[in-house]
Amino acid sequence: MLETILSSIFSAGTFNQMLRSATPVALAALGGAMTEHAGIMNIGMDGMILMGAFFGVLGSWYFGSAAAGVALVLVMGVIVGLFFALFTVKFRSDEFIIGTALNTFALGLTSFLSRSIFGTGGTKGNPALPTVHIPGLDAIPFLGQVLNDNSLFIYLTWALVLIMWLFVYRTPYGLWLRASGEKPETLRTAGVAPERMKWLASILCGLLCGLAGAHLSLGQLQGTFAEDMANSRGYIAFACVIFSKANPAVAYAAALMFGFFDAIGLRLQEYVSSDLTGTIPYLITIVMMVYVVVRSRRRDMRAGRRLPQRQG
Amino acid sequence: MADTAVRFEHVSMAFPGVLANDDVTLDIRRGEVFALVGENGAGKSTLMNILYGIHAPTDGQVFIGGTEVTDFNPRTAIGLGVGMVHQHFMLVPSFTAAENIVLSREPRKGRIFFDSAAARRKASALAEEYGLEVDPDVPVGQLSVGLQQRVEILKTLYRGAEILILDEPTAVLTPQETEELFAVIRRVVREKHMTVIIITHKLYEVLAISDRVGVMRKGQLVGVRDTADVDEQTLASMMVGRPMLYDTLEKTGVPGRELLRIEDLSVRDSRGLPAVRGVSLSVRAGEVLGIAAVEGNGQSELIEAITGMRRPESGRVWLQDRDVTGLDPGAIRAAGLAHVPEDRLATGVSAQASVADNLLAGRQREARFNRFGFHRRVSTVERYASELYERFDIRGAGVRTAAGDLSGGNMQKVVIAREFSFDAPVLIVAQPTRGVDVGAIEFIHSQIIAKRNQGCAILLCSADLDEVFRLSDRIVTLYEGQITGQYTGVFSKDEIGLGMTGGNREAV
Amino acid sequence: MERLKKRNWGYLVSLALSVLLAFTIGAVILLAAGFSPLRAYGAMIDGAFSGARHIGDWLEYAMVLCLTGLACVLGSRVGIFNVGGEGQLLLGAIVSCQVGVWLGGSPVWIALPAAALAAMAVGGLYALIPGWLKVKVKVNEVITTIMLNTVAASLCQYLAKGPWKNANKNMVAATAQLDPRLWFHSLIPGSNLSTAIIAAAAITVLTWYVMQKTSTGYEMKLTGQNPRFAFFSGIKTDRLVIVCMVISGAMCGLVGMFRVYGVEHLYRSSISNQYYFEGLTVAMIAGYEPVTVIFLSFFFAILKIGAQGMELTAGVPNQIYLIIQTVIIFCMAAESGVFSSLRAGSQRKKARADIRRKEGRDHA
Repeated sequence: MLETILSSIFSAGTFNQMLRSATPVALAALGGAMTEHAGIMNIGMDGMILMGAFFGVLGSWYFGSAAAGVALVLVMGVIVGLFFALFTVKFRSDEFIIGTALNTFALGLTSFLSRSIFGTGGTKGNPALPTVHIPGLDAIPFLGQVLNDNSLFIYLTWALVLIMWLFVYRTPYGLWLRASGEKPETLRTAGVAPERMKWLASILCGLLCGLAGAHLSLGQLQGTFAEDMANSRGYIAFACVIFSKANPAVAYAAALMFGFFDAIGLRLQEYVSSDLTGTIPYLITIVMMVYVVVRSRRRDMRAGRRLPQRQG
Repeated sequence: MADTAVRFEHVSMAFPGVLANDDVTLDIRRGEVFALVGENGAGKSTLMNILYGIHAPTDGQVFIGGTEVTDFNPRTAIGLGVGMVHQHFMLVPSFTAAENIVLSREPRKGRIFFDSAAARRKASALAEEYGLEVDPDVPVGQLSVGLQQRVEILKTLYRGAEILILDEPTAVLTPQETEELFAVIRRVVREKHMTVIIITHKLYEVLAISDRVGVMRKGQLVGVRDTADVDEQTLASMMVGRPMLYDTLEKTGVPGRELLRIEDLSVRDSRGLPAVRGVSLSVRAGEVLGIAAVEGNGQSELIEAITGMRRPESGRVWLQDRDVTGLDPGAIRAAGLAHVPEDRLATGVSAQASVADNLLAGRQREARFNRFGFHRRVSTVERYASELYERFDIRGAGVRTAAGDLSGGNMQKVVIAREFSFDAPVLIVAQPTRGVDVGAIEFIHSQIIAKRNQGCAILLCSADLDEVFRLSDRIVTLYEGQITGQYTGVFSKDEIGLGMTGGNREAV
Repeated sequence: MERLKKRNWGYLVSLALSVLLAFTIGAVILLAAGFSPLRAYGAMIDGAFSGARHIGDWLEYAMVLCLTGLACVLGSRVGIFNVGGEGQLLLGAIVSCQVGVWLGGSPVWIALPAAALAAMAVGGLYALIPGWLKVKVKVNEVITTIMLNTVAASLCQYLAKGPWKNANKNMVAATAQLDPRLWFHSLIPGSNLSTAIIAAAAITVLTWYVMQKTSTGYEMKLTGQNPRFAFFSGIKTDRLVIVCMVISGAMCGLVGMFRVYGVEHLYRSSISNQYYFEGLTVAMIAGYEPVTVIFLSFFFAILKIGAQGMELTAGVPNQIYLIIQTVIIFCMAAESGVFSSLRAGSQRKKARADIRRKEGRDHA
């Protein structure tokens, strides 16, 4: 019994599922890393994902092509990012209130539009994103099964992780972005308006969260929209951002961890109620948040011991 | 005009409710060290912030090297060769020294990528050229304050500054670090023909470093003199607008029994690093014990540990012969301690709450303020608050306004009024007059001495050495979390200065 | 006091403006989606005021908004944001329901208090987790409470499908029905309004009284405004924060019980449809002021009931209600943003004029 469970857990299917579950969270976490570096507490990612998911399906349905859906998502992503920055940067509103309101607004708007346009809270079977077959990859046992024939966005995410990492840590603009969050006056006295970086971060976050939603509806679920389908992924992404200290590469790893536990939950459904296994990723997220605090505290204590004792 | 580096013409700057600069006209010559002195709020920093382009003046003109400034922003000022080292450093703590130095003018490779090797190289070269050694690869958050200041100066040099503004550069430095800074200033002026403007309120430093000095008072420039022609006394009278004569504070009575004793106390700071290492001291009734220390040598953590704001790592705190180590502030207050904290906005008040509610804090459970033990008697609270408001000469729009709307000095009076009204036998007073105007300083000092004469045991901690000297009966110096000296009788500034830098630690 | 009054007027004006703006924006969205705003809003008014049944539903929903809104205020007063009320509400509902089922044979005066206690206990304990983590470990409570919402929803789903499932095969995810003896009496036949509203009114008054009129309320306010100052002045802030969070959770649990015993008479997921978040939104619009929360609850409950009526008669999805509610928040935030930048501008202008005037005098 245990053997069958374990072999089903550590199968190629599980790891493939891990990739698929992790990708929307990872994309959103990349966006969240941008706003986090810019010093904006972004609770509103869940709403941004939800809007991406809806407008992706809407575009795909209306124009009859998933590419058009993604294009619409990109446009909406910029608009949502601008909207978010207008309040958090320009008006200096409470980030918590704006984020929460954005989530509820997204829930209301997508459900309202879905019911108005499709007549019900959801829609299925719209043109979806293609999967990519990489010839030759199948030759590698196990890994080939895990990595090949995935939805386009899974590969796109890898590229984006690299690009965002380079952007943050290897370009001058990355320096400015980090300075704008950590100590904005530094940037201002250097002659660069920190607000500009915050606006940029917010737009990037809108775009990336939109893509996360588009992947969810057009990629992972093959052209399906359902009410509240973001299902707290925005918050999990936020936890990944905190966990990774907004490092895109580490955030991706954290998202993979979420994906792994999500996949295990799906595997265990054969043995335990799916309602119970479904809670695993959320519980893991809480554990992750606790670990972040404990880790930083322990690191400080170590630093304390390492300090040379300067005695007279 | 050729030797004029900066020229202010009829510059005025108004903030809502405050005229920070009032018709200032001033020339600063190329290649001189110009000191700008004045009290808190005299408008020195505002004038320099205008020069650096952070504020646009409400009125008047500014010329830098003969060019009129039309577009006030730091980028323009930097372009015209102005560099400024702010009182609160403008450094990103997690960035390395090199990254901080090149920020906003980063060397690039392939147009879009940051060339960190080049940045490191340039930073090192600059450091060597000016004799400002600093490790370019260490995150500046891990550097000492003195080294951080070097990074700040290197940053302005990297940006090609010819006019260097230093805002209160010595406030956080030890006397040795101050000497080193002055050596650097002399060198850049002599060798690089730079112009240095230094803002300070320490008059002996003005005399030590500057060629000319400008005095500001209430937004106006009241005079410019050659440093050679003035002494501390003249400058002080110019600053205050009247001869500087402190009323002598009358200290009466003899010290009584020991009310506060600290034994071998060790405390860690918020990052987990040791901040206080085995400090022992005691304060008796009717005496003021002053702690003299440069900021960041453990005095904040020591006071937090005594008052219960921070848990000590080891050691004991005895209050009136009761062991209060590690208790929470409420319990320690109940045992007979009141506390004026060093940072009034962060710890001393709730800015949103009314003045009355701030004056009440700590007494809200007293029977007279509660009907049936829980229903707040608002009118009694307000009557009580108004009484304190009058007695401590708080000036504002009444006890119902938010405490955050008060000026710094009046907010401090709210804190003092509340804490002194507890009639606690032990008083801990930290930075009682930081950012407070002269009139209020006099008032606060006389209140502290009145408490002392009534038999209070007072532990005083202040960054202002003159204040420590004036109020204390005894002084201890604290350096890197350890007591390095104890002084009674007539205090000598040299000796205590040495103690503050750990110089005579063996003597203890 | 003068200042306070001025601020209240400012708030009312800003709220009224925002509501107007939100309805205008709502009209644009309705138009864009192909509905006639006039017809829709007309149907909304009809839906809210046609007949006693709707008035009953209105009051019942106002009760839910008011209690959840106050639960949110209770947390934010001391500086902790309870975003997990939805989970606490669901758990309170299902546990109190099951307690009622177990005690079906016992007298009402035993079963009802036991159910209420169970609801409060489970809601409070569920809020204790994020509260304790926030105070003792310093973990951001927003994330933990959101995660716990999802966990609670799944857990309830599991219980309603599994161990506590209704014997009726046609009911997929629901618990057994309560004995009718245990139901709260309906106050307006056919509507959701039950005697629960009396208990709710008592809780509302008590919460308001404690927050606004007692020394405990004073200590809560200080703790929320500046926790360091509160601790410094001798308040046991850690304990206060945890206690407030637990009470907030207990209130949410009780709302769950009211929904079960007053309306549904069994547990199923329709017991709450993100109701806590609607209460939270009301609390935000009210600026976390208890009295304002109470008044706004009635206002937003009308909107909600009206929107449901509108869906039935005009076929407009009732989610337009959520849109209008959140747009009000955005409008108020924008107004304060625009207003403060305008005020800064005018102050600068005034300061400049003052200098000119002064210089004019000097030169004369």
